[in-house]
Amino acid sequence: MDAVSRAVESFYGLTTAWGIPWLIPALVIMTIVVSIILGYISVAAMFLIWWERKISAHIQVRFGPMRVGGWHGWAQSIADGLKLLLKEDIIPSRADKVVFVLAPVVVFAAALAGYVTIPFGPGLIVRDLNIGILYMVAISSLTVVGIVMAGWSSNNKYATLGALRSAAQAVSYEVPLVLSLLGPVILAGTMSMGRLVDAQGGTWLGFLPRWYVFPQIVGFLVYFTCALAECNRLPFDIPEAESELVAGFHVEYSGMRFAIFFLAEYANMFAVAAIATTMFLGGWQGPLTTQLPLIGVLWFLLKCYFLIFVMMWLRWTLNRLRVDQLMDFAWKVLLPIAFANLVITSLVVAL
Amino acid sequence: MSMTTPIPIGTQVITERLGETMEEMYVNMGPQHPSTHGVLRLMLKLDGEVITDCIPYIGYLHRCHEKIGENRNYVQIIPYTDRLDYLASMAMNFGYVLSVERLMNQEVPPRAEYMRVILAELQRIASHLLWLGTFGLDLGNFTIFIYCFREREMVLDLFEAVSGQRLNYAFYRIGGMAMDFPDGWIEQCREFLTWFKPRIPEYDALVTDNILFQKRIRGIGVMDGPTAVNYGLSGPMLRASGINWDLRRNDPYSVYDRFEFNVPVFDTCDVWGRFLVRRQEMIESVKIIEQALEGLPSGDIQAKVPKTIKPAAGQAYVRTESPRGELGFYLVSDGTPKPYRYKVRSPAFCNLSALTEMMRGCLVADAVAILGSVDIVLGEIDR
Amino acid sequence: MTPEQFLEQLRTQFGAALTEAEAKGSVLLLTTTADQGYAVCKALHDLGFEYLNCLSGVDWTTHLEVVYDLSSLHHAAKVHLRVKVDRADPLVRSVSDLWKAANWHERECYDMFGVRFDGHPDHRRILLSEDWVGFPLRKDYTDERLVPYTDYGLEEKQAKTEAGKGAPKPTSAAPKPPAPPKPPAPTG
Repeated sequence: MDAVSRAVESFYGLTTAWGIPWLIPALVIMTIVVSIILGYISVAAMFLIWWERKISAHIQVRFGPMRVGGWHGWAQSIADGLKLLLKEDIIPSRADKVVFVLAPVVVFAAALAGYVTIPFGPGLIVRDLNIGILYMVAISSLTVVGIVMAGWSSNNKYATLGALRSAAQAVSYEVPLVLSLLGPVILAGTMSMGRLVDAQGGTWLGFLPRWYVFPQIVGFLVYFTCALAECNRLPFDIPEAESELVAGFHVEYSGMRFAIFFLAEYANMFAVAAIATTMFLGGWQGPLTTQLPLIGVLWFLLKCYFLIFVMMWLRWTLNRLRVDQLMDFAWKVLLPIAFANLVITSLVVAL
Repeated sequence: MSMTTPIPIGTQVITERLGETMEEMYVNMGPQHPSTHGVLRLMLKLDGEVITDCIPYIGYLHRCHEKIGENRNYVQIIPYTDRLDYLASMAMNFGYVLSVERLMNQEVPPRAEYMRVILAELQRIASHLLWLGTFGLDLGNFTIFIYCFREREMVLDLFEAVSGQRLNYAFYRIGGMAMDFPDGWIEQCREFLTWFKPRIPEYDALVTDNILFQKRIRGIGVMDGPTAVNYGLSGPMLRASGINWDLRRNDPYSVYDRFEFNVPVFDTCDVWGRFLVRRQEMIESVKIIEQALEGLPSGDIQAKVPKTIKPAAGQAYVRTESPRGELGFYLVSDGTPKPYRYKVRSPAFCNLSALTEMMRGCLVADAVAILGSVDIVLGEIDR
Repeated sequence: MTPEQFLEQLRTQFGAALTEAEAKGSVLLLTTTADQGYAVCKALHDLGFEYLNCLSGVDWTTHLEVVYDLSSLHHAAKVHLRVKVDRADPLVRSVSDLWKAANWHERECYDMFGVRFDGHPDHRRILLSEDWVGFPLRKDYTDERLVPYTDYGLEEKQAKTEAGKGAPKPTSAAPKPPAPPKPPAPTG
């Protein structure tokens, strides 16, 4: 990864030598990085969609997509994406047009911005902020603004109900989510994502990896539950409950705007799985990372996709909760557990 | 004698009942909505997420079934009865031919009676399976749907083997059956039963024992026993309210009095009770089919009936236990080949009329579960 | 109580108001007039007929009939009560305060026959749209979309064959029991 930073530095050096103002190379590098991330998100989300369809199919004793692209329908998502791109883009005549158009942008931007501080591998991080995890949590809660915008501007009662549900849910689940993330932060003594991963290197007693999931198992479970709710995944998918609210906040969206919502959902899933991996499962830490740093990326992705698999597994096994049960669960169960976990962790660290 | 209350015009009623206030909102659910199971339209009055009133509008599928029936002869009506409850066509055929036979005092050969019971009970299993699957969908549990459809498909295969159709069979005849079971059908049916019996614990593992599932449906849509009777609820809805009432046992028709089976009754009075009743009924239906296959007599399957059926003037109200409850056919004959009056008392019509009562004070999410628990088929409600 | 005992009690209570009253098996066949209909229903409700199976109308062209089918969960007797209603001004008192089940049935009866129910809490059309003109199940209602009845010459043919054969044989009218069909290959 040193090669990357050396290349960046030499690029800066070159442009300064040529007398080009500092802003232009910075912009060029930013564009390149954002393109890489965008490309990755799109491909990853499309892969996740295909993967989810295959997993759900196999859970439900059927095959799922089998035709497009030949091998097990691997090109199905690409075909679907193309179809959505080519579809007519409908804006309801009585919708608030500006907000309606902006809403998917906000949702996707929030999902995208979170990727800035994800350490994909040793040194493979866009910007290792010293408050990385705080930034992550703050940015991901921006999603709900986009959802409320979508619900409100659609001028549809179902969409409004879905948006309000989403807002209530996000506010409730944000609290235990942040509290559960504080456990690893206290243990590591830092909020920087990179240093959090570094702190989880090595082993306890010679065989147990120093992952925070072991001392922080309660925190991990609380985080994972809240993360499901953050992504509006079953059993917490009440904002878009299709049997009640048809599709919730994005009921009026079609074509590419709908596709952006869809992509953002899967991008979010990956983001929360990445946080869980970084905070609890040791990030890119794993065997052979010291010899071959690139293998860290593999470990990181493996852990992420395992968590995403669990999320999908839950989705196709459980049924939806009701609004009041959802709130009860957040405030009466998760919040006390998260607090207790925080207090005990602080005590142990202090002693 | 004159009306003490004038008949209001429809829009008047709506404005009266829907007087909008700032706190309340009206949501129109249906006629195109994924969980109204067809073209039912509900007007929900919401206070936040709480339903304060619910007005069902039906009739989107109305096709004047009864008027058509008055313009057809008795045999021609049989295929129309299929379209009443298209998820339980065998049960609809059964009820109709029974009522015509009662009208003309027609005996039916014992083999045909046994065939009728076997097919009607298979249909009950198929109908309850579809209900279980769509109920899972209503609650957001997608997987149970596919599992139930896998088994339902096998029942439909059995029906296809016997009648050539998969959904609308028109297989019952006045005074008997259209055809005998084909060779090997009985073994195929037995195979299905042995496959089906262990599937119920499988469903249990997925939904019945799932704590989230139970939490969703316990204590909602409450309908106590006396009110249920007053509303004329029937079938699983009535039995879930603690009323031990099953026409197959309390007012036996055909040869149901020859079989041993239990009538599942639960007194939880809520959606959970209705779920359990239907789940248990599938097991009981398996028992009935096994006994009927065991005791299936040989002989004719069709009694001698006149070519044109002209029952003597008179009338008959005959009720049978369809998968959804009491299915009644009220026939008035004037001695001609067509019925003078042909009325269908459809079970879901009466069950649905109690919806408003059950829904008050529930959440929107519960509305879907309660509506699912009623198990409506708009084909027979709207007729 | 047996059907006969019910019948006796009703006869003493209503006398001539019950224009017809007989017991056929377990079914009580009763007929009464429009102004006594509610009173008879109430008496039956109090006698323990707590379940309203069906409420329907019949158009006899001279008059209309509202037919109540009642039963009980406690005894085997059933009631088939017919209330004769004037065809020009059909009006009966609603029984939806006795049986809530009557609510939708009465709406349907109004929808199809135009019988008005006094005291009904929600008197609207139910199956047809609110602006529908006429009452479709009345015998004089016509609609060009309704396919008229035909028996495809079955009766004529039958008469011809019977005439050709001379004296009608009762068995010739009965269809032969269909031969068991060739079984299809078992599926699944």
